Amino acid sequence: MTRAPALTTSALVSGYDRDLPIIRGVDLKVSEGEFVVLLGPNGAGKSTLVKTIAGLVPVHSGSVALRGEDITAAPAHWKVRHGLAFVPQTENIFGTLTIHENLQIAANILPKDGRAGRIAAQYAMFPDLGLRPGQRAGALSGGQRQMLAVARALVVQPSVLILDEPSAGLSPKIVGEVFQRLKAINSTGVTIVLVEQNVRAALAVADRAIILVEGKVAHEGEAATLAGDPIVAELYLGARHSAATPVVSAP
Amino acid sequence: MLDLFAYGAFFLTMALTYATICLGLNVQWGQTGLFNVGVAGFVAIGGYVSALLTTPEAADRVGGFGLPIFVGWAGGALAAGLATFFVGAITIRLRSDYLAIATFGVAVAIHLCVLNLEGLTGGPFGIGFIPRPFASTAGDPSVFGALNLVVMVLVVGLLYLFLERLVRSPWGRVLRAIREDEPAALALGKNAVRYRLEAFAIGGAIMGLAGAAQAHFIGFIAPDNYMPTLTFQVWAMLIVGGSGNNRGAILGAIVVWGLWAVSAGLVSAVFPPEQQARAAALQIVLIGASLCAILLLRPRGILGEVSMVSRHLGASPTQIAPATERQNAEQA
Amino acid sequence: MTAQILIDGLIAGSMIGLGAIGVTLTYSILRFANFAHGDMISWGAYFAYAASALLGLASTSLTTPIAPFSFGWSLPLATVVAVVLTAALALLVDAVLFGPLRARRSAVIILVMASFGAALTLRSLLEFIFTAQPAYFTDELQIAIRLGGGMRATPDQLLTLALAVVVVTAVHLMLTRTAIGRSMRAVSENPQLSGVVGIDVRSVVRIVWVLGAALACVAGVMAGLLVQIRPQMGLDLLLPLFAAAILGGIGSVPGAMIAGLIVGLAEAVAVQTIGAEWRASVAFLILVAILILRPQGLFGRAA
Repeated sequence: MTRAPALTTSALVSGYDRDLPIIRGVDLKVSEGEFVVLLGPNGAGKSTLVKTIAGLVPVHSGSVALRGEDITAAPAHWKVRHGLAFVPQTENIFGTLTIHENLQIAANILPKDGRAGRIAAQYAMFPDLGLRPGQRAGALSGGQRQMLAVARALVVQPSVLILDEPSAGLSPKIVGEVFQRLKAINSTGVTIVLVEQNVRAALAVADRAIILVEGKVAHEGEAATLAGDPIVAELYLGARHSAATPVVSAP
Repeated sequence: MLDLFAYGAFFLTMALTYATICLGLNVQWGQTGLFNVGVAGFVAIGGYVSALLTTPEAADRVGGFGLPIFVGWAGGALAAGLATFFVGAITIRLRSDYLAIATFGVAVAIHLCVLNLEGLTGGPFGIGFIPRPFASTAGDPSVFGALNLVVMVLVVGLLYLFLERLVRSPWGRVLRAIREDEPAALALGKNAVRYRLEAFAIGGAIMGLAGAAQAHFIGFIAPDNYMPTLTFQVWAMLIVGGSGNNRGAILGAIVVWGLWAVSAGLVSAVFPPEQQARAAALQIVLIGASLCAILLLRPRGILGEVSMVSRHLGASPTQIAPATERQNAEQA
Repeated sequence: MTAQILIDGLIAGSMIGLGAIGVTLTYSILRFANFAHGDMISWGAYFAYAASALLGLASTSLTTPIAPFSFGWSLPLATVVAVVLTAALALLVDAVLFGPLRARRSAVIILVMASFGAALTLRSLLEFIFTAQPAYFTDELQIAIRLGGGMRATPDQLLTLALAVVVVTAVHLMLTRTAIGRSMRAVSENPQLSGVVGIDVRSVVRIVWVLGAALACVAGVMAGLLVQIRPQMGLDLLLPLFAAAILGGIGSVPGAMIAGLIVGLAEAVAVQTIGAEWRASVAFLILVAILILRPQGLFGRAA
């Protein structure tokens, strides 16, 4: 049975400035139900790549497809209505709105009778949010904001969930929780694409890893294999680690 | 034939007074990016101060100093420069659109003062009998016109040279640094606010000088000369000519003033006398539409620098809200 | 100073407040100071004037005043028509001017410049079509009703006051209780994120233009009814509008209304104490004070 892969990009070139592409020809293929992590040094363009897919960065050439359908030119709000949810790294919730309103906004694209149920499901999955849903989202702590941002993305039951460095600025304990949650979400069938700087934690939960360097794919492979692969260390850390020492431990 | 020459001389003289205002505005906008929507107010200050200094005595009004014309002009420029400095000191730290609103308010306030302080400004009737340069030759329109034209050509020419020197001077270089990379300039210890304020005040003084010149060429001023329409005309001139560029300022003034005069001529030819006021409104519609068209189609105007303008006009699409200054800086 | 100041101030203030709500909404969502908003007020008044005149021609029963007010049914009907037309005008100006400039990521200052140009064009177009002569919705004179405490107001004035209260309440409820209101607040805070969560930002922008224009139109009809209709009426209100919008805090609807009332009352006080010819200075002074002391206004978000 061949189904179109959940998400593909083809020779994608993109960047804020027409004269300065940041993504310089990326072919990506994510299969349905996969958990893929995008790694790479600072400035490699990981954020830009997912923002391009989400529709926030202009495409110069190439294409993006969702389940085989070309979505390159589609506006951001169209994509989420077709199952592609994106959680940006910063400014990913509406601080001036309440927790409940943040969820209501996300649920707005669903049919009327389904909305309350989907919002309730998020409160069930993230009980902390349900404690004071009338609270202004801007008053939440970093970890709680991240939770709200993910909950907001899940309200619409996306088929593909893209997250840009959800662990940034969070304590290690919370990071662990976040990743376990993502693993659980993935096991329900949601395809996940994760941009991460925290190599160890990410490789522990992902199926496959893609390493981006200077706007192009430098390497990719099974997460478990990559964990011990010295190439990762080379691409990332330069001379700091020797080739013989594994970078991260296997899960 | 000679009448035509006299008319042409007068036309060009007036155009050059507008060019002077444009040069002043260019110092404010081109050098520092400050959007002054209160131009008319500062021109008014220059005109009124000069008129008050030079006119003979008048009943119910301060006056009678009867000072020479060039003293009037100097006084007008100085007063306008000081007023601009004062306004700038209060508003210069505001973000661009708040500065626009504030300067708009300043012009409204100045207009109000000029209209109501009758003991000082003659109120709605304005000030008349403003001495004209070379008044002794007024009997011969061609000579009179030519001499006045020479005066303005000298003024604009000297101003142009002065401003070009200023741009290339150490002071001008600091301003350019502030405009193009403020954090770096600040790191070097340059007080950006002070430099911007100085540029703002210089621009205002030049506008005051133009106001004084206009007052003396026409011989009569009234509050209604200094409405938002004037600000708008000057902005249109600067944009059409090419903002950020002194030659563009002069060219734009002549071109737009020419269009204005031509459209006025057409209007008075086409419309019967009782409809003239109405038809004058049509002139403004045409100019307004042209300004919007220029902003859309060729924002850099005739002579403008692309780099200067593209910073403000953006390049790529997919943004719903206008780029804020912060965003522009982040992605620059 | 008499208590009449209170009535005069509230009435003027409610018109300023309605206009300021339109300004604050478009300002917070479109992110620029629209100098043409005042001219939407003028165009709204003139649209209503023309529609009312046409309706009056169609049937004189429509111009018979509805007691105790000075106008007949032609005015409310004309206002409905005028709201639609003013909204259409706002959408047209956006489609032709602001939209393309936004699409090019033009800086705020260019949009302000363009709005200044559009303002003058619209104003002068009105002057060309209708001349600068003042126009009136009705020739009927009204007797003021004694309200007690030395205050008087005409039925028209009391009606406009009530209408302003109703409109403000409706707008506030819409913003806080409905999905579209949430979407507007979301776009006001973060347009990019709004797109990401599925909000069609372009559609919200259009709705904001329509709402702002509708409010401007109603304010214009009120001002036209209580005072007079002139092409300059919007320009005269522009500074008070900006002052009120900024005083209230950009993005705050209750703030804009309260600030409008404050400006109106301050103007009424000034008119009685210093003189009517200095009325416009009040808004200017309030504006400067707020920009220096507290630029985010009373209820706005600190920058």
